[in-house]
Amino acid sequence: MQPAAPDPIRLEVFKHLFASVAEEMGVVLRRTSYSPNIKERRDFSCALFDAAGQMIAQAAHIPVHLGAMPLSVQAAIAACDFAPGDVAILNDPYRGGTHLPDITLVTPIFLPAQTLRISSGQATTPGEATVPAGGDMRVEHEKPEGSGERPFAFAASRAHHADVGGMSPGSMPIARELIQEGVIIPPLKLVEAGRVNQGLLDLLLANVRTPEERAGDLRAQLAANATGMRRMNELIARYGVDEVQQHMQALVDYAERMTRRLLAGLPDGVYRFRDWMDDDGVDPEPAEIAVAVAIAGEQATVDFTGTSLQRRGSVNAVYAITLSAVLYAFRCLLGDDVPTNSGCLRPIRVIAPEGTLVNARPPAPVAGGNVETSQRITDVLLGALAQAAPERVPAASQGTMNNLTIGGWDGERGQPFAYYETIAGGMGARPGKDGADAIHTHMTNTLNTPVEALEYAYPLRVQRYEIRRGSGGSGQWRGGDGVCRDIELLADAQVTILSERRVFAPYGLAGGQPGQPGRNLLIRDGEAQELPGKTTLAAQSGDVISVQSPGGGGWGARVADSDELPL
Amino acid sequence: MRIGIDIGGTFTDFVLFDPANGALQTFKRLSTPRDPAEAVLEGLAEAGHRFTEIVHGSTVATNALLERKGATTAFVATAGFRDLLAIGRQNRSQLYDFFADRPEPLVPAELRLEVLERVDRHGHVLHALDPAELAPLLEQLGRTGAQSVAVCLLFSFANPVHEQQVGAALRQAGLLTSLSSEVLPEFREYERASTTVINAYVSPVLDRYIGRLAGQLQSVDFRIMQSNGGSISAAQARREAVRSILSGPAGGAVGAFHVAQAAGFERVLTFDMGGTSTDVALCDGGIQVTSEGEIGGLPVRIPVIDIHTVGAGGGSIARVDVGGALRVGPQSAGADPGPACYGRGGGAPTVTDANLALGRLPADRFLGGQMALDAAASEAALMRLAEATQLAPVPGLSLAQAAALGIVQIANAHMERALRLISVARGHDPADFALLSFGGAGGLHACDLARGLGVRTVIVPPGASTLSAFGMLVADVVKDYVQTVMLVGTVGYQEMRETMERMEARGLAEVAAEGVPAERITLFPQVDVRYRGQAYELTVPLTPDFAAAFHAEHQRVYSHSQPGATLEIVNLRLRAVGSVPRPVLPAAEPGDHDPATAYLDHRPVVLSAGLANVPFYDGAFLHPGHALPGPVIIVYKDTTVFLAAGDRATVDRHFNLIVAVGQQ
Repeated sequence: MQPAAPDPIRLEVFKHLFASVAEEMGVVLRRTSYSPNIKERRDFSCALFDAAGQMIAQAAHIPVHLGAMPLSVQAAIAACDFAPGDVAILNDPYRGGTHLPDITLVTPIFLPAQTLRISSGQATTPGEATVPAGGDMRVEHEKPEGSGERPFAFAASRAHHADVGGMSPGSMPIARELIQEGVIIPPLKLVEAGRVNQGLLDLLLANVRTPEERAGDLRAQLAANATGMRRMNELIARYGVDEVQQHMQALVDYAERMTRRLLAGLPDGVYRFRDWMDDDGVDPEPAEIAVAVAIAGEQATVDFTGTSLQRRGSVNAVYAITLSAVLYAFRCLLGDDVPTNSGCLRPIRVIAPEGTLVNARPPAPVAGGNVETSQRITDVLLGALAQAAPERVPAASQGTMNNLTIGGWDGERGQPFAYYETIAGGMGARPGKDGADAIHTHMTNTLNTPVEALEYAYPLRVQRYEIRRGSGGSGQWRGGDGVCRDIELLADAQVTILSERRVFAPYGLAGGQPGQPGRNLLIRDGEAQELPGKTTLAAQSGDVISVQSPGGGGWGARVADSDELPL
Repeated sequence: MRIGIDIGGTFTDFVLFDPANGALQTFKRLSTPRDPAEAVLEGLAEAGHRFTEIVHGSTVATNALLERKGATTAFVATAGFRDLLAIGRQNRSQLYDFFADRPEPLVPAELRLEVLERVDRHGHVLHALDPAELAPLLEQLGRTGAQSVAVCLLFSFANPVHEQQVGAALRQAGLLTSLSSEVLPEFREYERASTTVINAYVSPVLDRYIGRLAGQLQSVDFRIMQSNGGSISAAQARREAVRSILSGPAGGAVGAFHVAQAAGFERVLTFDMGGTSTDVALCDGGIQVTSEGEIGGLPVRIPVIDIHTVGAGGGSIARVDVGGALRVGPQSAGADPGPACYGRGGGAPTVTDANLALGRLPADRFLGGQMALDAAASEAALMRLAEATQLAPVPGLSLAQAAALGIVQIANAHMERALRLISVARGHDPADFALLSFGGAGGLHACDLARGLGVRTVIVPPGASTLSAFGMLVADVVKDYVQTVMLVGTVGYQEMRETMERMEARGLAEVAAEGVPAERITLFPQVDVRYRGQAYELTVPLTPDFAAAFHAEHQRVYSHSQPGATLEIVNLRLRAVGSVPRPVLPAAEPGDHDPATAYLDHRPVVLSAGLANVPFYDGAFLHPGHALPGPVIIVYKDTTVFLAAGDRATVDRHFNLIVAVGQQ
């Protein structure tokens, strides 16, 4: 049910109201979470959905979660027969997840029974179960009253948990099958009618390395979802069911209109681009990602046919990742602060052949698909869109997250340690502007760990952290430089690097030069040894791991490059 | 006589307080942006040079930073880390904008230098600084033409020996030098470096300005407001300018909370809505301080009053976007050209134009009648917007009025979202607070906003526009100290006390040096604690029971705690406060309920339910005890207050309007 012309005032008011609910979920999750990965690096997202699982509003956090959230909610709807007071949990990449560390909690929102009779603001808060620290979850709420057979809306939160089991601490191994990457959670009810499913929780916590931390972070996610539900119920009490429902739809339509306007402004045509992943960490052959973006009037078709088949190593992306990259690329072109919701994707058809790198099937491992392939899919999409909108798209950025995991036994502190970080690199040059140096681009935006904080916490010493000068591609506008980060081990440790763009350089555009590929070095006794882009090694105390991230591509031919004066 | 002075974009405000008889007096001069000292000196001349003490904001330092007009500054880091300022925390400011950039570092690449040295986390020297390196460093600095130098070496807070060596050489060479171990001996190198560099960048500017004023103000106690809500002597401030970089809004928050407390409110959201932006601070029994401040996108880790700025104000421009939604802000018409009704060439409809068209802002009484507003210009601008928006007609209202009502609703929705967020992020429900509105534009929005947030009480003090200058008079002498210690496990209280005693001796001496007698000095020793493995800390009082206090605070703020877990003692903090004699607010005993003496006239006003004839009152003639049921409009010289039907205001003994907000 949609009005012929939405009220332009109410539309804007509700945009703020729904955004406010998602934001509030985000601050509650961040405030009550346990692990630094969520609290400090802010690796999480919160969003609201309508009854059909369409995303209405999202608190802007992590782009790689963008398109994936609606698929999680839809997977939960398909698997769970929801009743008031339920909360679903999932991380299965092949059933609504992306990679195993990202755990999503989905809470159905039913109309509170009394809203049908009275308009009091005192809405019930079904499903507000709490989890005490230590994983001992007891129920503190009665089974709540609800009306209606079907949820009215959904609140969902997705957070990156620092460890979900599997073959190595941090759950980002160089694996050959999904089961090695950690515990797999299909969509299940973690909370049923207000009661925590303790058996399920115990099973989960028994399969991770840091159960207390996991329980703490899950509790924070429950608190965030409960906040979303409570605030939605307040909106219903304040504005009425019909008005809230109507504006959920109106906002999706609004984002769709904005996207159609964008597409209509791009010249019709088919824009093709392809690029390669260096390897998959198991087999050395490069893997190709190909795309054809067809713009026709107000619609677009994004076709990944021609992309390599899925691989033995973990560079496989599930469909949700591909969708996130598509939404991200178009979202950046929209410019204006359009609400990011399912409407943005309505005029865009995505074709991602099953069994390929952009739509992997079980049992392929996927950890690298989320953090590395997602960047390359974005590069390929932007390479195609640059042909349609050359003045609005930058050259390739570093195209990797340079995932570094170091774990072992810390003799000085008498405890095991596991450290994970991602390392920034060069941003691609922009038409009219150089690319930024030493910055996270596209699918991630997590913070670094301060050198002094890192040395306080781990047997590590940072020897160098500086801009990798000259690594950006030259051009009329220069690509941003990457960084050099040299870390000395003060204890023997297992080092895992999951990185890309060590072989295939970030491309330049409009005649700009490519950025320099990245390098990984092991420096032992003063001798530097080149490491592959994806590797696990047993390193020794005194070794230095040097990660040198790629520079961004240049934009436009430099006058000196193209018009050299004859001698 | 004591004088508080606040330099604003348009006016420089003066508040005079005579401790002998408790009298308060305020006046304004037009600001002189090219040379702010000019307006200050003129105003002081007008005050008749009868004063003994001046408390003053640091607008010159703030503007120097925001406009990037500070000193040419160099940065010296540990070898391998000269790019600290450029890398920052490696994140970008906008997720979906390819063309957005982080703020440029205050130090350009060619002025970032290194010395070969290294200290570890225990403060042990791993690689000693070779004194022979200092000569080439000085030579390099000489070539760059730097006027000011910031030095930030890794782990210098654990052992400052190398920074001190570098500092001594630089100072001997006559260079103004800021050492991170002096400015902020706290871990996290990027934030410490940023704070130290800001100090180096703005100190020369503040120094010059204070020098100019001080030359003309012999034998006057000249003080500068700090970002932490306290004041320090100008002599101290000119060396540590970073401590006063956010002093402007701090004065407002201090003044607002003082007024709220006097009216009997301890839990208050202060709401300062101006032309281009709105400042909000949450006070829970006291003003809240944070060490996560930032200015112009750069982190400042010294304690600052926790103020949140929202990009919406009276000058926010309304427009329709390509998706057909009516948008308000973030573009602002500012003071020049200003809203359409200022008649200075601004053609875009703003929030102020909307209020004028709704009849809520009297055109003939703006700024006490000093500035006539052009209602026709507002109307025309709103009509253009209504047509572009294809607004549906609203029965009983003109199209311009319908658009105006929408603009006000949207501006309120935007501010409500911001107020909710800052409350919830700090673990509070806004409904548990009173809303204190000051600043010119706030009175028209405060009651509707309060209703949306579930807030039951709105306070509007008299003299709302000079509250910042007033706050400077109320401010205590406050000095903050920090020292990272990073002690793990079961740490003895005594061990911490030893370090704290050194900090306390310094705090006592420095506050006493500000002229505060010992019996008026209070010390607040605190400790930053976290569970091992966490990356964030909570501050609790340093007492033998600090651990229990930490668990309780963790439970309150984060909803969980682990009393059995290992603790890390991250920082020791000391706040030394010297209390100053405070002005007594003017008061009178409540009299008659009937505000007839302040009655002006009835005028048509658009309410949410439609057009109505609403009484207008002159705030200057309101007396304690007067009661005003909404809908009503109360016109002050510097702000106008709108009460909807169901709201009810009473005037308290300090002449504050206390509004009981009607719920919907």
